[in-house]
Amino acid sequence: MARRHLCYNRFELLKQIRELTRSIVEDICGGRSPILRIDQFSSYCADVSGNCCCSYDLPIRKEILVLQRESQVRRLDLLLRVLLIVQQLLQENKHCSKRDIYYMYPSAFKEQSVVDRAINDICILLHCSRHNLNVVSVGNGLVMGWLRFSEAGRKFDCIGSPNKTYHIPVQVEDVEDIFSLANYILIVEKESVFQRLANDQFCRQNRAIVVTGRGYPDIPTRRFLNLLVGTLHLPVYCLVDCDPYGIDILVTYRFGSMQMAYDSKYLRLPEIRWLGAFPSDSENYQLPQQCLLNLTTEDKKKAEAVLCRCYMEREVPHWRSELQLLLDRGVKFEIEALSAQSITFLSEKYLPSKIERGVHL
Amino acid sequence: MGDLLKNSIFFSDQQICYADILPPSEVRLRIEVAILSFLKNLSSSTPSVSDLPLISRKRSNSRVSRGLLTENARIFLSDSFSMKSLMNENSANSLIRVWKVMEMCYQILGQEKKVTQRELFYKLLSVSPQYFTSQLQANRSIQDLVALLRCSRYSLGIMATSRGVVAGRLMLQEPNRDVIDCSVCGSSGHAISGDLNLLENLIMKSDARYIIVVEKHAVFQRLAEDRLFNQIPCILITAKGYPDIGTRFLLHRMSREFPQLPILALVDWNPAGLAILCTFKYGSVTMGLEAYRYACNVKWLGLRKDDINQLIPEESLIPLKPRDHQIAKSLETSEILQDTYKEELAAMIQSGCRAEIEALYFNGYDFLGKYIGKKIVQGSYI
Repeated sequence: MARRHLCYNRFELLKQIRELTRSIVEDICGGRSPILRIDQFSSYCADVSGNCCCSYDLPIRKEILVLQRESQVRRLDLLLRVLLIVQQLLQENKHCSKRDIYYMYPSAFKEQSVVDRAINDICILLHCSRHNLNVVSVGNGLVMGWLRFSEAGRKFDCIGSPNKTYHIPVQVEDVEDIFSLANYILIVEKESVFQRLANDQFCRQNRAIVVTGRGYPDIPTRRFLNLLVGTLHLPVYCLVDCDPYGIDILVTYRFGSMQMAYDSKYLRLPEIRWLGAFPSDSENYQLPQQCLLNLTTEDKKKAEAVLCRCYMEREVPHWRSELQLLLDRGVKFEIEALSAQSITFLSEKYLPSKIERGVHL
Repeated sequence: MGDLLKNSIFFSDQQICYADILPPSEVRLRIEVAILSFLKNLSSSTPSVSDLPLISRKRSNSRVSRGLLTENARIFLSDSFSMKSLMNENSANSLIRVWKVMEMCYQILGQEKKVTQRELFYKLLSVSPQYFTSQLQANRSIQDLVALLRCSRYSLGIMATSRGVVAGRLMLQEPNRDVIDCSVCGSSGHAISGDLNLLENLIMKSDARYIIVVEKHAVFQRLAEDRLFNQIPCILITAKGYPDIGTRFLLHRMSREFPQLPILALVDWNPAGLAILCTFKYGSVTMGLEAYRYACNVKWLGLRKDDINQLIPEESLIPLKPRDHQIAKSLETSEILQDTYKEELAAMIQSGCRAEIEALYFNGYDFLGKYIGKKIVQGSYI
């Protein structure tokens, strides 16, 4: 069965935690090993046939934890420790990061990755998202444009001053009263491009909401975008560098990341459109030859890895062929290269004309 | 003194060499003066190709000024020059690069725009590919230009990202705009603008008793979320790592506006954390001519070696990396570091370990606030 959330309420979660613990205790008292069945999800795999589980949001396998095996005993022990901390957080409605949790029992956990896995397992067992457990991370995203919303009583009014930048709130579940006059949402990969648009007063000329995740988008940014799209039903465009990492970021927005595979249904943007930069843009916009940089070995490895993912051929073959073209040509370029001749080229010509003419993939 | 007059285009006679924050028209004037002076020498009766006198940014030219009656100390660059000459093969290309950057900045200022360093690099690359091959080179030439014209990078039209955020008992108001209350900014805080003119004109009001500078974003978010400033009346500020100009500028302004508030720093126990503390406190040679302007009297609240011994279990200590040792070495030889800091640094090296602030969570997930409160009450900061 595809994964879905069963509850968001912390009292419901506390009840679930109590029931889970009770059933484990009952099993042990009855002389049986408790059996925990944990689904494993994956955002993508190397299967190009198009019939893999990833395509249907189904778990790729089930892991079964029992007390008969030593390695699983440890994993169960750590899971219960993290669960104890989560219970305390939920009872007092306090928040913690994954790192903070690691430091509470450093000698038991020994490594951060152990805590990360335990948290993922708990989310899967309790059918919820990480933020429902009050485990949070720092927020890195920025937003500006024709948008107004409030979060926990605080008002974010970007409509009054469309070039004012705000941090995307970390507690996305507290965002309400979303109101917008924008015609589309534009996601940019890099903070410097976001700054360029702010400096050029892009939002004064264009009715848009501009968002950046400052690189690979974090969870609050992706949840916020999902919320905006779900509420406002606006088209979403994405502007990334013309290099393998930019395209990786694009597909992260579109399909989700492997780390959060179990939650990807709530974190991805299936309607996102790739606005640029395409390899063909370097000719269409007469980019000077010296602004095209050679692909490094890491770039090539990254490109090949992304090309192999099952969803590339199945869902976005047109994106896949652009990436293949990029790899074949052996050169990449950044968005800033487009400003080489004229600083305002990006905000005054490139973006408005592409959006107007519908030049996107 | 005679040497100084001979070497400087601008006849400055002060020993502290600093970079001014100037409006675009003034910077363009300075550029024009530089060009005219070069042309004058070239077309005089005894023609010569002038060298470019740049304030030397080497450590040998950095000085420490100590306040006599206060504890403030700061780094500044003195009047020693390093010359770039067209006649000298080694510096000829770098001299040309400075002229190219000057030309580009002149154009940009004329259009009343600002660019990032990356965009400037691409512009230089497309116009003069034979002189510019890497971003690093371009950055160095920009710093050379700052040293030549004695004005800040920001005045040259180069915008920098501002990473800082502030939260707590502080009310900010841009002239003729709404008042922003930083205590209801949520856990992400209020973003500090990169526009230094804007920051200069901010009206600030506060009823806080302390200013707490936090090294890491995660710790800042934790404290803002837990509303530390409602239990301890304070202003929280972070640059999310190595301090940028905007954050330092705002901190400096706060220290002038509210001089009775102690500024306390919360950093990880490692050489990099101490380096960040020192950058806020003294300035840094790498910031060149802009360094001195933003130093504040910051005190070290935590983590310190006593905390490590009493509050943090051994399993939470992480071995120092080679980079940590490098930073430690450069700090050790710095003449500006006070003795108490030198002792802490020595303890770090000796133990071979470092610790993150989050390690305090061993004592409970609400321990951080209690720790800060206790240290403040005990006056345990150096």
